[in-house]
Formats: sequence, structure tokens, C-alpha cells
Amino acid sequence: MARLQLHDLQLARGGQTVLEHLDGRFQDGAVTALIGANGAGKSTLIAAIMGMLAPVAGRVECRVPRERCAWLPQQLALDLTFPMSVEELIMTGTWPSHGALKGYCAAHYRKGRDIMARLGISHLAHRQLGELSGGQRQRALLGRTLMQEAELLLLDEPFANVDGETVEMLMDVLRDMARAGATILVVLHDMEQLARLADDVLLLAGGHGRWVSPEALLDHHTGQLPRAPRLPIDFQEASHAGTA
Amino acid sequence: MLALLDAWLFAPFEYGFMRRAVVAGLALSLAAPPLGVFLMLRGMSLIGDAMAHAILPGVALGFLFAGFSLPVMSLGGILSGLLVAVLAGSVSQMTGHREDSAMASFFLISLAAGVMLVSLGGSSVDLTHVLFGSILAVDTTALVLIAGIASLIVTVLAGIFRALVVECLDPLFLRGQGVRGGVVHGVFLGLVVLNLTAGFQTLGTLMAVGLMMLPATTARFWSQRLEGLIAIAIGIALVASTGGLLLSYHLSLPSGPAIILLAGVAYVLSALFGRQHSLAARWRRTARPLDAAPPP
Repeated sequence: MARLQLHDLQLARGGQTVLEHLDGRFQDGAVTALIGANGAGKSTLIAAIMGMLAPVAGRVECRVPRERCAWLPQQLALDLTFPMSVEELIMTGTWPSHGALKGYCAAHYRKGRDIMARLGISHLAHRQLGELSGGQRQRALLGRTLMQEAELLLLDEPFANVDGETVEMLMDVLRDMARAGATILVVLHDMEQLARLADDVLLLAGGHGRWVSPEALLDHHTGQLPRAPRLPIDFQEASHAGTA
Repeated sequence: MLALLDAWLFAPFEYGFMRRAVVAGLALSLAAPPLGVFLMLRGMSLIGDAMAHAILPGVALGFLFAGFSLPVMSLGGILSGLLVAVLAGSVSQMTGHREDSAMASFFLISLAAGVMLVSLGGSSVDLTHVLFGSILAVDTTALVLIAGIASLIVTVLAGIFRALVVECLDPLFLRGQGVRGGVVHGVFLGLVVLNLTAGFQTLGTLMAVGLMMLPATTARFWSQRLEGLIAIAIGIALVASTGGLLLSYHLSLPSGPAIILLAGVAYVLSALFGRQHSLAARWRRTARPLDAAPPP
């Protein structure tokens, strides 16, 4: 039974419907890619799943406890002038178990150090967040979700402005998390990244969604994945499928 | 030499009013600067100023009803401060205006209302007292009230510290964890109001905010870590309040402005010669070599 399901969902922004009749279930222990043109409703859907946007109709059924849901938004709400080190940021991921008051013990600091080692940011432990590059920051934020032991992970374009080596590292960690049972949603634009990471794809276009396998996005002529999805054709089909 | 030191530093405290004044100053110096550090980091440095004006009508009403009674005036100040904070918050939520513009409107209304009320009911001497305070007139009741409020602030701040830090850095994360960021923010603003109310007796409504903000903005030139900022800000406030009192005693200066001006001197010196972001730091332009460990 999938822990995250959509039931005839209708979402709107500023009185304008963005998505409607959205159904489906996200596989547990798998990475689902969310793709679509700008304005197709990817971020809107993620906000609704996180409970930050109330649906106009239908519902999101999420059986993952709220504190085990992690969200890395596209435009970071992080205040980078705030004095905080990488290690301190990662330690805030203990919130589900520690809340506002409980003290950290040695085991948690050890776990924090293990996470930083795995993400290759041990040498940045005491660096201030404002001094990090985009890729280093993304690693640190993923470190926080590891500390949080997130079971549902929503990532909005996590690989934007991130160098190739970091992308490999982040993909590895995401695949490991999925293997361990986490449900992961990733907004992606790069078809190559999609082919290597995603087990399932939800296409959004024209206000509708359509579930496809990554293979279905293969180019009909070459049998290879195109660099970019053939937008008009794919999305026309998607919207027909949605209304059918 | 020793005699001179004794005459300057210790002899003044043989007077009861100086002892009470210095204890009140020390209590405020422990509670106010941490609040100032968070206000500064949240980009709300001027909100403290606005809130200081917001407590004025309540203080004035208390004065009208009960004369110069500190508990009544403080209660009035707390109520009107909280009322303005809640009103500004809800107006900005309902209208979509930014909170600072709502706050600015309400604090101007409060200031005018407060000055009007004081003038209706008292002489200009009373007005001066409310606006600028008089640390030398702190009696035992006032001292207990100030110390009590300061202790409450430090305790509550310790309780909400982690939540406040996370809320400053990444409000979405806290919301994802099911914590209403608005609640943390509200409690924090409540502490600011409490602190200003405790401060108005000694420093006056207008100067009370100085002991909160100046040490915090000064500390920014010396540390990049939150703990460092708070520790340095408290240190500056302790020195400024004690030093300001001594100066006012020896040179017959008004005590509130002497304390705040001393903190102001620390600010200007730090802006010139501080370790971070100061003018001198800009001139230095040195950098650690690549393989060097970052500073602790």
C-alpha cells in the first residue's frame, strides 16, 4: 500500500485552477520524477503534499508522519546571513526526536559527523552557511534530511546550480534512501538525470497529470532518451489521458 | 592611585540608590542584549524602537489612574505593547501589507496617544520622566520588578531558543515539523515588550531600546557565531550600564543617556576597529591560506 496517494485532487493558485483530476499513488522505496514545463504545477503539487496549500477538491492521503516529511524548496527560504555552521544545521534535523528542549548526546553528534563524512562535507563542519557554494549548501541540506530520517522527501530541482560531482553524490544518497524504504519525489528538467534516478514519472501538463515509466519517454526513433522531453507531443497526450 | 580607583569605582556604591541602580542595570544587561541579537538577525532592528513607543500609551494610562506607581504603569505598558504587536501582526496578515509598515503606523499612533495622555494628566516633569526614565530613582519595588522580569525573559528565551534559531534560519522547516512559526515569533515579541517595560523605569521608554540594540549591533563587528554575538553583547551591556552610571555620578550627567552613549561609543569604535566587517578589517584584506583550519 503506497503511503502517499492523490485522490481526484484539484489545486488552485490565486483563484486559478492549476491542476485537476489528479489521481495516483507514489511507490514506496522508489524515486518518482515530477516533470512538466514551467507553470505546469509541480511546485504547487509539492506544496499541497506538504500540507501548505489546501486542495480545492479531492485530497492528498499521506501516511508518513509529518515530522518525517522533508522538503527542499526551489527558492530557498534559508536566511543565509544567519550565523549558523554546517554542523549546527545538520543537528537541527534531530527535531523529530528532540523537539525544542531535549539536549543532544554524543551519539547524535557522532551520527552528524557520519552524515557529513558520507556527503563529503566533514571539512566544512564549522563553516558558516553563508560562506558555502550552492552545491555545498545542497549537500548540507540533504544532510539535515538524513538526520531527520525522512521517509518522504520532496525535492524541487535539487540539482540546479550544482556541479557534476555533487549531482553524482546526491543521486547516490537519494538512491540509498529509496532503497531503505523512503518515498522520494524529485522535480527534474534534465532527461539524463531522470533516466538515471527515476523509477517512475509523473508528467504534468495542461492542468492534468499522467503517470508514465521512464522508458516511455524514450525517443521513438532512436530508442535513446532525448536530451529534453518532446514537450508538445508528450504533453498533448498527457492532457488527453488526464481528461479521459 | 588605589585611593583614586576606590573613589571612582567603589565609593559611589556606598549610596543605596547607586547600588539599586547598578543592580537594575546589570539585570537589564543580561536580559536585553540576547533579544537585541535576535531582532538584529531577523532584520527587525527598528521593531524594538517601534515597540518602545507602543508601550507609552499604556504607561501613561497607568500613570493617570494610579499616579507614579511602577507596577500599574508596567502592566499598562505590557498590555499596550502586546496590543500593538498583535494589531500590527493581524493587520499585516489580513491586508497583506508588510508587518513593518503596519508596525510603523501603530507606533506613531501610540506615541502621539501616549504623549497626549501624559500631558493631560501631569506636568512636563512627569513626561520627561516617562520618556527618559531615571535610573537613580529605582526603589526596592522597582528593583524586584525589574529583576523578576529579567529572570523571566532569560528563562523563556532559553526555552524557545532552539525553536527561535530554526525559525529565523528556515521557517519552512519548522512548519514542516508541525510547529507554528507564528507562535514562536509571538512569544519572542512578547519578551521584547516585557523587556522594554522593565527598562522604561530606569532608562525611559525611548532609551530602553538602546540597551537592547546597541550591544547587539556592536557585537556583529566582533563575532560571526550566535553564542559569540550573545556573549559579547551582554559583556558590552554590562560595561556600558555600570560605566554609564559611574560617569553620570561623577560628572552629574543624566544616567540613561550616559549609559546609552557609552554603548554608542563602543559601537563607533567597533565599526572602526572591529574584527569583522569593520573599516579596519576592510583595510587588512588578508586571507587564510587554503590549507589552514578555519577559525574556531
